[in-house]
Amino acid sequence: MRHWRALAIVVVALGLAVGAAACGGDDGGEATPDTTATEPATTGEEPATTEEEPATTEEEPSPEGPQAGGTYRVDWEETFGFTGGFDPVGEYLGEAFGIQSGLLVRTLIGYRHTAGSAGNELIPDLATDLGTISDDGLTYTYTLKDGIKFGPPLSREITSQDVAYAFERIGTESLVAQYGFYYTVIEGMSEFMAGEADTISGITTPDDKTIAFKLTAPTGDFPFRLAMPAAGPAPREVAGCFTEAGAYGRYLISSGPYMFEGSDALDASSCDTLEPIAGFDPNTSMTLVRNPDYDPATDTPEARENFVDRFEFKINSNPDDIFNKIKAGEIEDAVASEPPKVIREYTENEELTPLLHINAGDRTWYITLNLTQPPFDDIHVRKAANLVMDKEGLRRAWGGPTAGEIATHIIPDAMLNETLADYDPYPSEGYAGDVAAAMEEMKLSKYDTDKDGICDAPECKDVLYVTEADRLRQDMQPPTSASFEKIGITLKVRSVEGAYPVIQDVSKNVPASGRPGWGKDYADASTFMVLFDSRSTLPTGNINYSLVGLTPEQAAKVKASGTVEGIPSVDADIDACNVIPVGDERVQCWADLDKKLMEEVVPWIPYLDATATQITGPTVTKWDFDQFSGTIAYAHVAVAQ
Amino acid sequence: MAAYIVRRLVWVIVVLLAVTMITFAIFYLLPTGDPAVRFAGKSPTPQVLEEVRRQFGLDKPWYAQYWHFLSDLTTGDKYGWPGLGFSFDTRIPVREELLERAPRTLSLAFGAAIVWLTLGVTIGIVSALRRGTLLDRAAMGFALFGVSAPVFWLGLMALWLFAETGGGPDWLHFLPGTGYVPFSESPSEWFTHLIMPWVVLALLYAAFYARMTRGNLLETMGEDYIRTARAKGLTERRVVFKHGLRASLTPIVTMFGMDIALLVGGAVITETVFNIQGLGAWAVRATFNQDLPAVVAVVVVSAFAVAIMNLLVDIVYAWLDPRVRYQ
Amino acid sequence: MPDGEVLLDVSGLSVRFPTSDGVVNAVDDLSFQVRRGETFGIVGESGSGKSVTNLALLGLLNRRAANIEGTALFKGRDLLTMPPGELRRIRGKEIAMIFQDPFACLHPMYRVGDQLVEAIRAHERVPRRQAAERAIEVLAAVGIPKPRERFRDYPHQYSGGMRQRAMIAMALLLNPDVLIADEPTTALDVTVQAQILELIDRVKKEFDIAVVLITHDLGVVAEVAQTVMVMYAGRAMEQGPRQQVFGKPLHPYTWGLLESIPHVDQKVSRLVPIEGAPPSLIFVPPGCPFHPRCPHRFGPCDQKRPEFRDRGGGHAEACHLSADEKRTLWAERQERFTRAAV
Repeated sequence: MRHWRALAIVVVALGLAVGAAACGGDDGGEATPDTTATEPATTGEEPATTEEEPATTEEEPSPEGPQAGGTYRVDWEETFGFTGGFDPVGEYLGEAFGIQSGLLVRTLIGYRHTAGSAGNELIPDLATDLGTISDDGLTYTYTLKDGIKFGPPLSREITSQDVAYAFERIGTESLVAQYGFYYTVIEGMSEFMAGEADTISGITTPDDKTIAFKLTAPTGDFPFRLAMPAAGPAPREVAGCFTEAGAYGRYLISSGPYMFEGSDALDASSCDTLEPIAGFDPNTSMTLVRNPDYDPATDTPEARENFVDRFEFKINSNPDDIFNKIKAGEIEDAVASEPPKVIREYTENEELTPLLHINAGDRTWYITLNLTQPPFDDIHVRKAANLVMDKEGLRRAWGGPTAGEIATHIIPDAMLNETLADYDPYPSEGYAGDVAAAMEEMKLSKYDTDKDGICDAPECKDVLYVTEADRLRQDMQPPTSASFEKIGITLKVRSVEGAYPVIQDVSKNVPASGRPGWGKDYADASTFMVLFDSRSTLPTGNINYSLVGLTPEQAAKVKASGTVEGIPSVDADIDACNVIPVGDERVQCWADLDKKLMEEVVPWIPYLDATATQITGPTVTKWDFDQFSGTIAYAHVAVAQ
Repeated sequence: MAAYIVRRLVWVIVVLLAVTMITFAIFYLLPTGDPAVRFAGKSPTPQVLEEVRRQFGLDKPWYAQYWHFLSDLTTGDKYGWPGLGFSFDTRIPVREELLERAPRTLSLAFGAAIVWLTLGVTIGIVSALRRGTLLDRAAMGFALFGVSAPVFWLGLMALWLFAETGGGPDWLHFLPGTGYVPFSESPSEWFTHLIMPWVVLALLYAAFYARMTRGNLLETMGEDYIRTARAKGLTERRVVFKHGLRASLTPIVTMFGMDIALLVGGAVITETVFNIQGLGAWAVRATFNQDLPAVVAVVVVSAFAVAIMNLLVDIVYAWLDPRVRYQ
Repeated sequence: MPDGEVLLDVSGLSVRFPTSDGVVNAVDDLSFQVRRGETFGIVGESGSGKSVTNLALLGLLNRRAANIEGTALFKGRDLLTMPPGELRRIRGKEIAMIFQDPFACLHPMYRVGDQLVEAIRAHERVPRRQAAERAIEVLAAVGIPKPRERFRDYPHQYSGGMRQRAMIAMALLLNPDVLIADEPTTALDVTVQAQILELIDRVKKEFDIAVVLITHDLGVVAEVAQTVMVMYAGRAMEQGPRQQVFGKPLHPYTWGLLESIPHVDQKVSRLVPIEGAPPSLIFVPPGCPFHPRCPHRFGPCDQKRPEFRDRGGGHAEACHLSADEKRTLWAERQERFTRAAV
């Protein structure tokens, strides 16, 4: 009897342990490309078009207009999912960007927190203006506004040293800045990171109001990098107490219009007296209240209107319950993927339709083609594949038009000011694929030995195709395989749980995969172009799945086999665009590079420019979408009293 | 008895050691992703990755980590005793998270246990005493329903019918929706929030217990000592409740101990549907996020619960059945 | 024949269990009387209906499952039609019962003493302590050594014989008029058997009660019973004073039984079992139920049910053979039996 019980204990524990081991393989890779947004849910309606004017995508205000006050309650599905414990330096979750950038962490320059291109444009926040850039494009100088303060318990003026300190934190290895690579362009940052210098030589604070950044190379999108929450001011007297990644998240001192509830109770007299702030329990809830030290005069209603008195974020493990509560007006909003039946209800019921918000997600979904692997080492095959692909069929698997626009090139249109909105190098009727054109293209390929437009070389048979073992990819597979077959390519499909780690391992030499999608970090196309920068190619954890620009030397290092010679590189183009300051010229440069990639490199078959959907409750009187973070524009929402 | 308990406690420790070691070994020996990657960001430099591994203690071989885990567990770490480290996911001390979640799961498990024990045993007794009648058939029909109805579906139906946010008839909506309110915050809210989860979770078990009680009682009532009790001229009530029930409850005690112990590891589905945020939901999330310290913590708690409940079962068993005691 | 007051007067008792396989005729038209001061032995193979008879008398059969007919007067009141509550008050107090297997008859989870006290308090409103004192007295009376200590023991701490003594003690606690002992010695060692039988005999005398002793063992009956009833297939085959039944048995079944047991006084080394097996109680053979196994069967045996008649001196039996034939046959059988043994 006793042995039997002992056995039972072991079995129970083993069950858990095996569960741990078996289920654990997925997330490491999964998180990497997906951190900034959730996958759009499947829907059935045209996405709202994003336009120049910020007001157009906002909800119609109620007759009396949105009123101040009230509580905005948001349920989060299953978990907050923070990647760095909500410490801005390591936090890489789009939803966290939304809260921090909108409510808690002001930055030198920031966003309007609104939908569309207007939401992707930079405006001054803590700084008086967009800064002064030296003629050589290497020095950026900013002046802080008067009257900007840290919230309780510090309640003191924010100085340029507090901004500079944020960069010291980014450069502190133990704090694990998740996007620290954006700041290595600052002079002296690398030395500081390596511990070779006590200060970052490129950051100077001549007085309490002025801060200047000196870069080692012209970097046109540097202002975007300054608008990331990690670059927001941090008070050394509190943040300096924490030397481990993510620990500061529960003590975050606000510089924005709201703060953790209970911040005023924090005893910041020394590091030893600090206790986690009551308003943030990473397990269950986060509660924000107004920051008494925030002065609206230092801000603009364009960026923040701050209607509500209080935000309540709670974790809820039951998605059905979340949307029931929204419908019943018990909560206002959710960070959750809407179940298909909910989307259907909100698209079909006219009374509910206004509560469904569809916005551009600034995220492209694509099939990646490996430039080193036959038959995709032949550009004609890649072009033919683009021509033949039934993109409409793929979108149907995603739930139809509400899922997003058909993508015809790499960078989402909203990030290119719609300059490529009408660009489609591989057009077809109804996006269903142009078989005739594809066959014409295939005839040019060495793999079509009899030049009949159908690939007949053995390289086209049983081509390994790695995809995720989930419902969506299962639905995507029939149109994918059927399209390839029309030009004679048969796929050997491998559905795995956790496809990312497989395709991120260069030595596996995966010819093609239907798994990837990519979202922006900020609204500059450079955040997409890292995917084609050969200098970022890694043996594992590689995101340049197509191996664009791979040289034979690199190939040996990262263990890539196949055709490794003569692979086109766009490194020089990327560098050329990168030096151009933010503005139309820069956008045009990226647009041209996008075209070049689509026509001369053809690393992808892009198929979906995904939307972000959101459902709000009847109590919400004003709602907006924050284009930067891809989530709720908390600083603009209002509720009925 | 004391020596026996000490012996058992030593055994508990041995089992805990084995179970945690196996958990560690499986976590490291089976090919999984690197938990550090998630924390290190989109395209981490090798240095950053190394730093995260160092902070997480993942830079050492698994047996060294295991040793570290053991010494922290026994002597405590900077977050207190027992030292369970911090969660790779939320970055807060596992001990704190455990203390936050354990009362939720315990409230759920023990409340449900009271409901199913009362319900199941009552139905089982009535059913056994009225064997073959309509009442018996109705009760066994209920039992079949309880066993076969998926908890997930039952939970959603209960919410639909009784929760304020439910879609069912309004006059039935007299219970609050999902979520958990700590007892210390409001005992009445704690109670009303837990009624539905208790009942839904209990239905499944009640059905098992009803069938088991009925079967055991029917068997016991055929025993010679029951005939003796009747021959003594005892009232039927006394015969059933004192003589019949006591003997038929002993196997139920064993089952009950095991069920409670396993529930302490988390009633995942019930916790999820009713958004209780207890240990079960945590365990699932931790396994998916490769949150080793959290996984190990739940394993320790579960194994401990199983061991302790076994001990309790043995003690209760000995109390119920003197034959065990004197062996 | 004992002349004590008639305590139990059973007449025409039949017990049938309707089952899905058919009706089980467990007891069929049984009549007997038990008097104060006598030990009434009921003998039969297992399945002959002897235990069912007594369970029926005490209302211990499930009345929904069993179909009971006839009358069983106890001190003038009919046990079979009495309301359950009234019967319960008689059970244990006026009619007590002990059973075959003392290992199974005491509740394993309660102390022996508590089970005795419970029996007292089921019928009398006495304080626990007082009931316990009486229980200890009776335990002493039935020969339990150190009764005060043994009182607190659990059944499994008793030996088989002690358990049966405890069961007898439990039966005697309330000074009953009738003690029904159902195979009280079957599960015990031979030496213990004798002690228990002696004890039963002693308490019968001391307490001046009637004992109904149910057994399959003729030897046991021969030692202690004054009156013997032989049952077969739910029916009485032969009944009478012990000397009559054992000395001049009249029924071929009784003959068979007697030949199948060892006699201490006869130098017999060979036993003759009765050929064949007892009949199914669902398909009881027509006529005399024993006829398929009876070596002396003739014309009417499988046709006509023999009447159960008194053949004089309270010696009754049910067989179609004439008195002379029986005498001759029994003598032949005895001779053959003895010769074979020598």
